[in-house]
Amino acid sequence: MVDAARHPKVEILAYSEVERVDGYIGNFRVGINRKPWYVIHDRCTGCGDCAPVCPIEIPNSFEIGIAPRKAIDVPHGQAVPLKYAIDMDHCIQCYKCVTACGSRAAIDFSQQAEYVELDVGSIVVATGFDSFDPTVIPEYGYGVYPNVITAMELERLDNSAGPTAGRLIRPSDGREPRSMAIVQCVGSRDRRFNEYCSGFCCMYAIKNAILMKQMIPSMEITIFYMDIRTPAKGYEEFYNRAREMGIRFIHGRPSQITQDPATGNLFVEAEDQELSQVLELETELVVLSSAAIPRADAGDVSSKLTLSRSPGGFFMEYHPKLRPVDSPTDGVFLAGAAQGPKDIPASVAQGSAAASRAARVLSSDTWEIEPIIARVDENVCVSAKGTKCGLCVSACPYTAISCVTGEPAMITSAKCHGCGGCVAECPHSAISQDHFTDAQIVAQLRAILADKPEEKIVAFMCHWCSYGGADMAGTSHFEYPADSRGIRVMCSARMDQDFVLEAYRRGAGMVLLSGCHPQDCHYITGQRVAAKRFDRLLQAVERLGISPERTRVEWISASEGDKYARVITEMSETLKRLPREQILAENRGAREAIERRLRRWKASPQMAELMASTAGDLPGGEELGS
Amino acid sequence: MTREELRIGVFVCSCGSNIASVIDPAEVAAYARTLPGVVTARTNLYMCGDPGQNAIKDEIAAFKLNRVVVAACSVRMHEPTFRNCVAEAGLNPFFMELANIREQDTWVHAHEPERALLKAKEIVAAAVAKVSYVAPLTPLTVPVTKAAMVIGGGVAGISAALDLGDMGITTYLVEKEQSIGGTMAQLNKTFPTMDCSI
Repeated sequence: MVDAARHPKVEILAYSEVERVDGYIGNFRVGINRKPWYVIHDRCTGCGDCAPVCPIEIPNSFEIGIAPRKAIDVPHGQAVPLKYAIDMDHCIQCYKCVTACGSRAAIDFSQQAEYVELDVGSIVVATGFDSFDPTVIPEYGYGVYPNVITAMELERLDNSAGPTAGRLIRPSDGREPRSMAIVQCVGSRDRRFNEYCSGFCCMYAIKNAILMKQMIPSMEITIFYMDIRTPAKGYEEFYNRAREMGIRFIHGRPSQITQDPATGNLFVEAEDQELSQVLELETELVVLSSAAIPRADAGDVSSKLTLSRSPGGFFMEYHPKLRPVDSPTDGVFLAGAAQGPKDIPASVAQGSAAASRAARVLSSDTWEIEPIIARVDENVCVSAKGTKCGLCVSACPYTAISCVTGEPAMITSAKCHGCGGCVAECPHSAISQDHFTDAQIVAQLRAILADKPEEKIVAFMCHWCSYGGADMAGTSHFEYPADSRGIRVMCSARMDQDFVLEAYRRGAGMVLLSGCHPQDCHYITGQRVAAKRFDRLLQAVERLGISPERTRVEWISASEGDKYARVITEMSETLKRLPREQILAENRGAREAIERRLRRWKASPQMAELMASTAGDLPGGEELGS
Repeated sequence: MTREELRIGVFVCSCGSNIASVIDPAEVAAYARTLPGVVTARTNLYMCGDPGQNAIKDEIAAFKLNRVVVAACSVRMHEPTFRNCVAEAGLNPFFMELANIREQDTWVHAHEPERALLKAKEIVAAAVAKVSYVAPLTPLTVPVTKAAMVIGGGVAGISAALDLGDMGITTYLVEKEQSIGGTMAQLNKTFPTMDCSI
């Protein structure tokens, strides 16, 4: 901690939160909200004269609420930076602290929150974890029985810098406990709450047991566990040491904890699975090993940095084996328990790994990015001909497009991120996207739907999320019927209504439009542009006589392999249920109207070639628009 | 470029048994040869390995290929690998299209190999179609701001910030709370060495 504060190249911005993140790899601009301390740092010496005179006591979150802090205080004596701050929600402005500070004059009630913007090339996200709140498990009585505490509370109670100066007492009577039971897997490996293993709780339970045993050798300590997991170096030996010290391990998850109101002692009921015996243990203190859970604001952080979240809610890495500290956003890396429950050695290792990945980006003066951007055909853009339009402008999440009536729309390439939203929104096909041109998409549709198209599900996928979800189904080997054929675009915003119409014109059985969840979009608002369009599209397709169940919109994240497999499975079932004749008849009935709508596509030479039917590639064989 | 000028090579990967245990890559290659513009189609045990990549480069030279389709794994896996491979053989890196016949085919249709084979063929046909209409692109070169930000001042964030700082990189360590240290600072002694956490 102190090393970071003293490092000449590291600037600590404490009491500060990331408000927004713009830009891309090598060129991020991060907006940071700096909360007011009401204390001038250059003048505060950290002497602590102010806190004792403050009359206001409030719960100290650093001490898990066990001990108070003053309205002007530091969270703990080793705080970095060691600067006092006033909690203005509780300060009564008695100004006693101002008097105590005296000539140092460090206290400044006029300070305001400050918004600063910083330019950086890469970002490491290390936002940590929260602890599971066991009050939701009624059978353990946390919050009801005073002598049922969490492991974090125990950390503060046996800590020489903690509120009891390291003397363990039990909350009900302030007496040193003679016995203690530790309960494992509280909120983890429990399908009611979190399926995952919280990873490090076995080790910290053993650590706490050893510490207590060293402090109070006569203490009877029992650990109730489901499995003891000691997978890292030196851990199994540590476990063995605990057993040799006389700490008792019982294989069984307690079903009930009750209290003797007279003594405050607790009765832990469990089944000892090794002995197949139900037991009831009387103990003076119960410590719950609460699971590590994602931070409450993980969703918010995820949206700001366009991260994805794994099923447990922790941030998802780009690839679980090959890119374990990369996030799905280039230039943003993950470290520590924000990515999944992790102990200190693993967090330190991952911090170093993320630093190395982040430094890799910064090691050269320039970085190459994909040139997948949008371009305006000035000869087609109706704005150039004096028509008021600007639909492309409103579709762009990056304000990269300007459109003045009388002039063609203009795209600033450096600001374009290549979502393709404007391309799909332009009703005149005046904008194209490199590498994902209309011709390239239609060429894929033609190939996919060349043979028995009515048996196919055309699945449009966005690169970042639903394509990743389909990959995740693959790496997890979640099987689904082989009826779908995928077409990848960068963002669901690129999924043009015309693509769906073209799919049905070519006789497709069903169409899936899949993209990210709104908060996961890699193009800020791309998904919202898509969702709005899809609402209209579903109605339009239905009006053409295509049964509504044949077109489906689904938001699938890169971690939702199970959802991707389920969606395709359900669609396959629908497809099998629908009579083939009905699909053929609906497509036949819609074709004329679709061809009228797609006629303007023929203006471009490549598209004319693609749209024109030949006996080989288009069932029915009629010429488009003839 | 007109269709007549297209000279596409298709390279079907076995991925050891990941693809080949479900479908026969040779059948996919044989089908690919029938597609418009395709002049050669080959298989390899591991297309991403040196022998596989060399085979692609050799075929580009031997057949004067101007487009390449690699039927293998996800674009999220080996797109950069094969883009580099074709670039080394003198092609625009964007003239390579990856057809995902592993994650999105053999790994999810292991129990219906016939339909998986049909799907693989059509995935390849779609990639051939897409690459037939591709335009050359030049990667954009952007400047790099030589500074880093670490969000979160717990043990992982501090560790990252110190390493970045030691590499001479200006690093901003942003912490929501009044003090850095995170959960670690709240702990008493830590396992397995029992040293203090601050």
